[in-house]
Amino acid sequence: MTALIEIKNVSKIYATSDDSATWALQGVSVNIEQGEFICAIGPSGCGKTTLLNIIGGFITPTEGDALLNGNAIEGPGPDRGVVFQEYALFSWLTSRENIEFPMRLKGVSKADRRAMSDKYLEMINLTHAADRYPGELSGGMRQRVAVARALVNEPQLLLMDEPFAAVDAMTRTSLQEEVLRLWEKLKFSVLFITHNIEEAVFLSSKIIIMSPHPGRIKEIVPVDLPYPRDRTSPDFGALYAKVNEAFHT
Amino acid sequence: MSAQTTSKQDSSNPEAAIDPSHWQEQEQSFLRKLNEEKRRKAISQLALNLLGVLLFLLLWEATPHVIPWMNILLFPPPSDVVGTLVELVESGELLENIAVSMRRVLFGFVIAAVLGIVAGLFTGRIALVQHLSDPVLHGMRSIPAIALVPLSLLWFGIGEASKVALISWGAFFPIWLNTFTGVRDVPPVLVRSAKSLGATPYQTMFNVILPASLPFILVGLRQGIGIALIVLVAAELAGASSGVGYMVATSHQLFRVDIMFIGIATLGFLGYMVDRLFTFLQSRIFPWYSSK
Repeated sequence: MTALIEIKNVSKIYATSDDSATWALQGVSVNIEQGEFICAIGPSGCGKTTLLNIIGGFITPTEGDALLNGNAIEGPGPDRGVVFQEYALFSWLTSRENIEFPMRLKGVSKADRRAMSDKYLEMINLTHAADRYPGELSGGMRQRVAVARALVNEPQLLLMDEPFAAVDAMTRTSLQEEVLRLWEKLKFSVLFITHNIEEAVFLSSKIIIMSPHPGRIKEIVPVDLPYPRDRTSPDFGALYAKVNEAFHT
Repeated sequence: MSAQTTSKQDSSNPEAAIDPSHWQEQEQSFLRKLNEEKRRKAISQLALNLLGVLLFLLLWEATPHVIPWMNILLFPPPSDVVGTLVELVESGELLENIAVSMRRVLFGFVIAAVLGIVAGLFTGRIALVQHLSDPVLHGMRSIPAIALVPLSLLWFGIGEASKVALISWGAFFPIWLNTFTGVRDVPPVLVRSAKSLGATPYQTMFNVILPASLPFILVGLRQGIGIALIVLVAAELAGASSGVGYMVATSHQLFRVDIMFIGIATLGFLGYMVDRLFTFLQSRIFPWYSSK
């Protein structure tokens, strides 16, 4: 059986602002299997966002193959939902209209759209904010709407690019729990970019540790702690220490 | 009461000693005062506005009396102008001229808005179109619309077409340029979101890029209206037989400075009202714009 995503020997070269070349990724290979929750972690410049952009279909690799279900990725598509860091909601649409946006593109009837948005608004506990515009929502609420909007297409893979980096610590932990709840319920795969070790250990079934200049995969750490995880348990602490060590050596 | 609240037993839970209705009363009286304060401020502001207008008129009326060498024919006081104003309104002349001018502005502006927004979308999104049209459009933009009045009369005659054409010409450029900037600077993350949610290029253009650049487009439209009014007057001062600008031009030949004043004040008033109408419509049609 082929993996959901296969990244084979992928490299990406970029021009920097002073017209020199830099390797965002060099010879990276990794698979994402069905139902996995993968966190990619590393300092800035390690190519983790480039990796996500290649899988999302926003950019093409300079060298190597990026495959989705065995076929080359040829652009963005509704089979891969994306949640960006922030400001990706359409400010001229309410929460509900943002969630209904993908269905409106497909010409889904108003009643069906409404039923779906009701369902997803309830899933993210934002029924009360359905008719508010993004400008009237808190950072955490906005990201919940962004997650719901990415999920209405029922994608096989959810790509999340430091989605909770801009929210406060309290909101962040509740958003993490919420994403895990949705993941367990809807059974999609996740590629989650972060620079927060605790977040990676709390969420993922596999951690990809990356190193910068050039961007490479340093180590892949499987996480076999059962969900839901207890941040105060010794096992959690041991794994945190392990990732921390790999991260800093 | 003060003796009670300072006793040790009560200070651990002071609100227990106070009836809940007390908080409600406090709240209501607070809100009442807040509302009164707001209303008083609004009324005093309006009164000051009116007073300012009154002082201006008074100063105008008094000037010829204070400055003896002032020619009243060249500087008619408000008391004279009001009489003429009543005459012009009663004869229907003023309103008709306003209607004619506004129709020209409306047609010219609508044409400019459609062409300007379409041109902005294409030049802002397609590099080929941008570079191809850049020198020509920017070159044309630098020509003052007023310089085109004689040419327009030759091409389109002294009828409506020449005025509408000139107004569209003038209003097109700010609308195009602002739309272009807005469209070019749409955050890439919005375009990526749309694509990953399954939008086609056409859907991305109309469902995402257009609304996302709306704040810029609105600025362009507002500037376009201002220019449309300026060009209107330029077009009506020469080669027109009706309109507010024509009214000002003929009163010059008839040596009727009072009518001239009315025409000039009318233009100021129209410009102001059109701008107010624009901001009103904007907040009505785009409620999300203010919550951004």
